Amino acid sequence: MSPAGREVTITIDGREVAAIEGEMLHDAARKGDVEIPVFCYEPKLGDPVGACRMCLVEIEGIPKLQTSCSTPVREGMVVHTRTEQVKHAQNAVVEFLLVNHPLDCPVCDKGGECPLQDISYGWGPGKSRVIDEKRHFEKPIELSPLVAIDRERCILCYRCVRFSQEISEDSQLQLLDRGDRTYVGTFDDRPYVAPFHGNITDICPVGALTSYTYRFRARPWDIEHAGSVCTLCPSQCNVSFTVRDEKVKRVVTRDNAEVDDGWLCDRGRYGFEMFDAPERVRGPRLKGGTEVSWDDAIAKAADGLRAAADSSPTQVGPNSDTASRVAAIVGDASNEEGFLVQRIVREALDSPHIDSRPSRGPGADVLRRLAEPSISAKVRDIDEADAILVLGTDPLHSSPILDLRVRKAIRRNGAKLVVATERPTALDGGAQAVFRYAPHGATSFLMGLAGALRNGDTEVPESDVADVLRNAESVVVLWGERIGREDHATVKALLDVAATLGLADKDGGLLEIPDTANARGLREAGCLPDAGPGLSETTAGLSTEEIRSALISGELTGLILFGADPLRDFPDTPAWEEALTAADFVVSFSMHENATTAKADVVLPLETHAEKDGTVTHPDGRLQRVRPSAGRPGDIRPNVLVLSQLAENLGLVTGIDSQPTAFAALTQAVSFYNGIEDSDIGGRGIRWQDTPAADNVPGSGRPSVPGSPDTEPEAHPHISEAGDAPRRAASADPGTDGLHALTLGTYRDLWAGPITELNPPLKFLTPQQRVEISPADAERLGLKTGDRVRVSQDDSVVEAQVQIKERVPAGVVFMAEGLLDGNANALLNGGPVQVSIEKLSEVGA
Amino acid sequence: MAHQLEKRVLLEHAEDPALRTLDGYRRLAGGYATQERAYKEMEQDEVLKELEDSGLRGRGGAGFSMGKKASFLPRGDMAKYLCCNADESEPGAFKDRELMQRNPHQLIEGIAIAALAADAGHAFIFIRGEYAEQADILDRAVAEAYEAGYLGTDILGAHRDLELVVHRGAGAYICGEETALLDALEGKRGNPRLKPPFPAVQGLYGGPTLINNVETLSNVPHIVRHGAAWFRGFGTEQSPGTKVVSVSGGVRRPGNYEVELGLPTRELICDLAGGPEPGHEIKAFFPGGSSSPVLTAEEGLDLPYSFEAMAEAGSMLGSGSIIVADDRVSIPHLALRTARFYHHESCGKCAPCREGTNWTVKMLERMVRGEATPLDLDIVSSVQQNIIGHCLCVLGDSMAMPVGAMVRKFREEFEEAMEDPNLVLDPHAVVQAPPETLGAST
Repeated sequence: MSPAGREVTITIDGREVAAIEGEMLHDAARKGDVEIPVFCYEPKLGDPVGACRMCLVEIEGIPKLQTSCSTPVREGMVVHTRTEQVKHAQNAVVEFLLVNHPLDCPVCDKGGECPLQDISYGWGPGKSRVIDEKRHFEKPIELSPLVAIDRERCILCYRCVRFSQEISEDSQLQLLDRGDRTYVGTFDDRPYVAPFHGNITDICPVGALTSYTYRFRARPWDIEHAGSVCTLCPSQCNVSFTVRDEKVKRVVTRDNAEVDDGWLCDRGRYGFEMFDAPERVRGPRLKGGTEVSWDDAIAKAADGLRAAADSSPTQVGPNSDTASRVAAIVGDASNEEGFLVQRIVREALDSPHIDSRPSRGPGADVLRRLAEPSISAKVRDIDEADAILVLGTDPLHSSPILDLRVRKAIRRNGAKLVVATERPTALDGGAQAVFRYAPHGATSFLMGLAGALRNGDTEVPESDVADVLRNAESVVVLWGERIGREDHATVKALLDVAATLGLADKDGGLLEIPDTANARGLREAGCLPDAGPGLSETTAGLSTEEIRSALISGELTGLILFGADPLRDFPDTPAWEEALTAADFVVSFSMHENATTAKADVVLPLETHAEKDGTVTHPDGRLQRVRPSAGRPGDIRPNVLVLSQLAENLGLVTGIDSQPTAFAALTQAVSFYNGIEDSDIGGRGIRWQDTPAADNVPGSGRPSVPGSPDTEPEAHPHISEAGDAPRRAASADPGTDGLHALTLGTYRDLWAGPITELNPPLKFLTPQQRVEISPADAERLGLKTGDRVRVSQDDSVVEAQVQIKERVPAGVVFMAEGLLDGNANALLNGGPVQVSIEKLSEVGA
Repeated sequence: MAHQLEKRVLLEHAEDPALRTLDGYRRLAGGYATQERAYKEMEQDEVLKELEDSGLRGRGGAGFSMGKKASFLPRGDMAKYLCCNADESEPGAFKDRELMQRNPHQLIEGIAIAALAADAGHAFIFIRGEYAEQADILDRAVAEAYEAGYLGTDILGAHRDLELVVHRGAGAYICGEETALLDALEGKRGNPRLKPPFPAVQGLYGGPTLINNVETLSNVPHIVRHGAAWFRGFGTEQSPGTKVVSVSGGVRRPGNYEVELGLPTRELICDLAGGPEPGHEIKAFFPGGSSSPVLTAEEGLDLPYSFEAMAEAGSMLGSGSIIVADDRVSIPHLALRTARFYHHESCGKCAPCREGTNWTVKMLERMVRGEATPLDLDIVSSVQQNIIGHCLCVLGDSMAMPVGAMVRKFREEFEEAMEDPNLVLDPHAVVQAPPETLGAST
């Protein structure tokens, strides 16, 4: 950011243009509707490089032409972009760029949407004087399994290399050799495999970098662009679907600095073939796969649910004490869908039992305090933060685009990062301080941190983190929802830290990274056991884990699963198996067939984010619109209408018969969404905190006093160890017979889940289960990287490969959740888990 | 023994091998006395003023006032750096090699005094990788200077520190460009940076950095010792001082000659360097290295050898390296050879240089093969015009200016070559290998 920020007036081609002092002339010109051609400059890549020389302009008082991309604006600057001298330079540069360019536009995928083509037509000499042989490279070759590189087309604009080095900071892409022999490549021609690498195909201004998933699939005149939102993770990046014949052929970025900064991770970019995967649920069906009509399916679902609900002997009725035996769990859903599901459960089935979290989380009172706008951070606050605390999450895996955002804040704004997590994160390298706590140790860390902040204690292990945060003018805390799985005190302890830091009076604040894409929206729509729409007071019901237990015990008999796959995604797989088997009646709404749908009595298809019409709420409170972009395959119907019909069959007339009516009902029911119109959301979304309705947050305005009884978490026992050692590290007693107890930490890998199974191009990224172990434990247990082991906890057993990692603390092992083979969720039971490891075979054996 | 036309200041005692050692430098040249006086008795501003008043112009090519450049560095507590550019890679230039090889301590003392003027605590000598012998000599000299307390901490008890590192380049001409030098020194790919910011404001590791050529810095002890007025007693008003000139090509006594600036060029080439071999005539010469536009004998021989006279004639004094082409030299081949060098050394960062050098080479190759037409000659000229002023750094211009000048001034010879390649003169009769010893009377 320019420190100046003063408004100045410059003259471009005889016209006065308002500009900000210090901004680059190219940007000022664009705002003033003057187009200056350029290739290498892309503001989102950071500082200009001035390599392509396309944007040369004449500035009065400077004898030589200047690159507008690198010339800061000054008051009174007089600029000419159309003089003979400038035209001569533009013609020259275009001619130079085409000296070695193959001009194979008719067979090039970029043709029709190619900046080089456009600029050659607009600013080039129009004919070539080159008759000499052009530069040759082997082409196209695999830069990665997903991206092809054609080095003959490359104009060496530096964009992709800068992306790799300065945005994703993987530094895999390099320019090799020099002069006109220069080419883009990787060390030793290794494949460029990195989680954001698809972005280089968006920023390439020529046809040098193309996605294998889109090569030769369509021409620009065959396609339509449909702006929507990716809901594959909580980042909710703004995307544009490239649609041909009603099918998504490509996903590209749709820059929104408030959300994604113009970048997109490879999950969002390449995760679209699953929209038409063979596993897709294409119509309603019953257990065993019998296809049924929609009317029959909905009637069956309604009957089954009513039967389950009515099986209670006690009185049934609206708002009465109820012992309805039906529950619902919502996973991947829009706000409107969540809102309708909770109405069905609460109003049609008279049940208070609904949740939208994989296991458990803070109570409604805590959620209301978290919703307080004054302590909430928005994504853009990361850019401006003096200090950033990443707590209990690894953004690269949980909300990838925020990983880039944090890197940007450090690189460009000098933000100081501190990381406090169980497992080493991708951001550790850029952190001023790293605190590693043992699994289930977040609460004691937060209590220690609050203490260190209050007392200025320099002796406690948390003091390094406290020192960075204490003096920062603005702090953003990126915290993972999963710390709330620990116990009820954890998020209260976080609130106490926030109060101690005085976040309410500072820029920045707390920004949650939830476990599911629309977690915030679903909670606000009322998918919580102890809060209705708008976090309103309501009869308390059971939470996800309690629902599971109640299904097993028979207290609950019916279950609605909406976009949730407990057998894959929720902790304690064996218990969920038992619960789903015990349930009398299960309705599963699902996009794809999975282990959970196989156990459901009625399966109803869900729309994908390319098909759905609805809103979602970003973790920072931004309501965004998911727009229908592609056709729905098979006999899939709009989810909102299906829910509305189900409600009607259960005797509840919602009056909802379209997205607009569903949205209106939602904004009316959620007090702090009141008055938000679809037009307010537009293409960029709107944070409800920025609307007048923000005053309607229940419990808003409650003072947060650090250390007050209100915020003081319950005393939490912890074992304190010096230095960086985990604070609650499991005892490292070697067991007997090759069995050794270690504390298990689990994490969700970016590529875990069905995404790699449903999208064939991503198959190569399927993670294998590895047990990450410290060198000390590995040595003690006689394990080497690559050994096969059996990891067990009680009766649950998962096989894995050993991976020794220096940064894993002793006494702890880490395993991945959500894998098809060897899912670590099978080992979890809600509390701290000890596992034992037994060697099966040695590496290479 | 120096020729009477020479004026040896930097090369005084140069024949004596003892000069390389610290003892010899002190004994023969009164070495390090100036640094001692400057460190103990002079303020930063006094040294700066002396350098500015002397009018010393950079000897690396651009000819910018050294004192003025040093005065651009901001004041303050931030780390500041001094870099000595010893990446002498321009074809025709071999004077820094001589200066480092024969009198390394003069350079070190110059760096120490310039570091005082720039308030720099760290200095680097970036020496081209091929100068292995000179780098060894410098390493030994730097070690001696540390040993004797002229470098290191609390130098000469004057409460000043200076660390000096000799860094060997990896063999890229572009690393002689000051910002590419900085990137290379930082361990990055040696590519030029955008300017501004200029290195004086934001240079090595983002700190203010003074970058000077070996010869420029070698002048510093003499200026501070004898004063600016003494220095201005040599040379011309706009080009004060002496200059070590490398003369090569079609002359009988190629070598380095230190002369007062403003000496008639004919005396430099014909008297000092011995002129063309008997029976031959000078056709043209590069007055300031291979990147300077060639001058024909008629244009250039009678000009005073000064920055201003060469600029006025449409060329430049550059690093002060004269390459003489006699009447046996084929200008088309000379142009091709020049273009090939810059094509090979272009870093590839900016389009006009990367593509322009490569295209020019291809066209010139066709010309000397007789596969071109006069229209191509116009294209070659136009391409040079398209390069000049449009590049990120001066490397592109360094090819375009001399090649453009050759086509302009010797068009007929190009046309003849295209007509019949067999008429082309011997492509190898151009440049002799740089001599190993001082020229003239040695």
